[in-house]
Amino acid sequence: MINTKRKFLEEPDLILALQEGKKIGADALYEMYSSSLMGIVQRVIEDKEIAEDVLQEGLVKIWNSIQQYDPTKGRLFTWMVNVIRNLAIDKVRSKDYRNHSKNQEIENHVNSIDQQRNFEYKPEHLGVKDLLQKLRPEQKVIVDMIYFQGFTHVEVSEELAIPLGTVKTRLRMGIIELRKYFK
Amino acid sequence: MNYVNILNKLENIKSYIESGILELYVLGDLNADEKSEVEAMSKLHSEVKAELEQIEIDLGNISDSLQVMASNNVREGFFNSIKFSDEENIKPLASKQEAKAISIAQKPTNFYKYAFAASLALLAVSIIALVNVNNTLNNTKQQIVALQSSNQKFANRVNYLDHEVVKTTNALDIYSNTDYKMVKLEGTTNAKGAKIMIAFNSKMQKVGLDMKSMNIPKNDSEHQYQLWALVDGKPVDLGVFDMDGNQIGFKEMKNIGQAQTFAVTLEPRGGSVNPTLEKLMVIGNI
Repeated sequence: MINTKRKFLEEPDLILALQEGKKIGADALYEMYSSSLMGIVQRVIEDKEIAEDVLQEGLVKIWNSIQQYDPTKGRLFTWMVNVIRNLAIDKVRSKDYRNHSKNQEIENHVNSIDQQRNFEYKPEHLGVKDLLQKLRPEQKVIVDMIYFQGFTHVEVSEELAIPLGTVKTRLRMGIIELRKYFK
Repeated sequence: MNYVNILNKLENIKSYIESGILELYVLGDLNADEKSEVEAMSKLHSEVKAELEQIEIDLGNISDSLQVMASNNVREGFFNSIKFSDEENIKPLASKQEAKAISIAQKPTNFYKYAFAASLALLAVSIIALVNVNNTLNNTKQQIVALQSSNQKFANRVNYLDHEVVKTTNALDIYSNTDYKMVKLEGTTNAKGAKIMIAFNSKMQKVGLDMKSMNIPKNDSEHQYQLWALVDGKPVDLGVFDMDGNQIGFKEMKNIGQAQTFAVTLEPRGGSVNPTLEKLMVIGNI
């Protein structure tokens, strides 16, 4: 599963190409990461059109602020995920978006994840449903909210009325479970 | 973050890792202080660093499994919004191809436009060149005509001079030939001061008028001078001549072998059978 699409440029070359503003950098960025980043955006924003707007905005932001990326602090992809997620979360929380989509309450959102979200993802990839089925229910909710829906751990703690430390450890345990699955 | 805190963390790195803070760090869900704390821990402890790297790999794996293909609009919008250092113009693939297609389609039109313009320019140049050549040709023709004319004049002049030379040479021959007797005819009351010299060669029966030294009034177009020889008291016609003032050499008259006197009268053009004595101009005895 890993590296199936990431053969366009090796990460150091991609970083260099992006830093130097070369077209091949933009091509590689898009070919290698747009689908993964789109997947992340669409976990936060259901509406495909809005999600694509956010993805485009995120890609431009990645391109323009590549100088802020510090390779010593982590992988390029991690940095890009954070740029994209932050944009997506900002969008979801904007008045504009709330008016537009008349979103459900957070509780409904969380409860209906499994029923609503799965059909949008490509069948050849592992579905989130399958992925999350590997987790215990108390881990599943927290992983989904934090990893996929852009809630901060503080927000989850408040929404679910669970202590912060518990939120963190459950998240941790959930990730370890998923890690096993990928191995 | 103080030193004591770091020491406390050191005591239980494992519990630090398992607190879940590293996952939040990777997701960017920490405040600035917490972030620096994780970074400091990562530098101090290879376990923390390794775990962070693993969590990043987890994130990549999870994201890979959630891939959704974005529509091509995103790619186009993205490429339209950014500038490349290694390309002058940034355009989306689609519109690039469009532009190419348009420029290809426009090529023939442009070609004919340029071809037409070039033809017009060529035509204008050709016309100018033609006019110039024509002018030159006309000038040349005129020059040729002028040259031919002056050549003709020159030839005429040469012919004339040739003729004059022959006449003068003949005159010199006559003067230097002792067989010729020079007879001087003096003006009568009709033409005072007039004078004509006649060369007479009785052996050859030749009579010549020295046209150069001739000095009598010019005749009009209706009259001519007529030379007579008096042979034994009878006038003999020796021919007519004109006086226009430009003649040289000797004019040969009719032949006669013997005469006592020469005389010239003014007669109607063509001459008369008998001399009109009232119009006797010059006379002289041999």
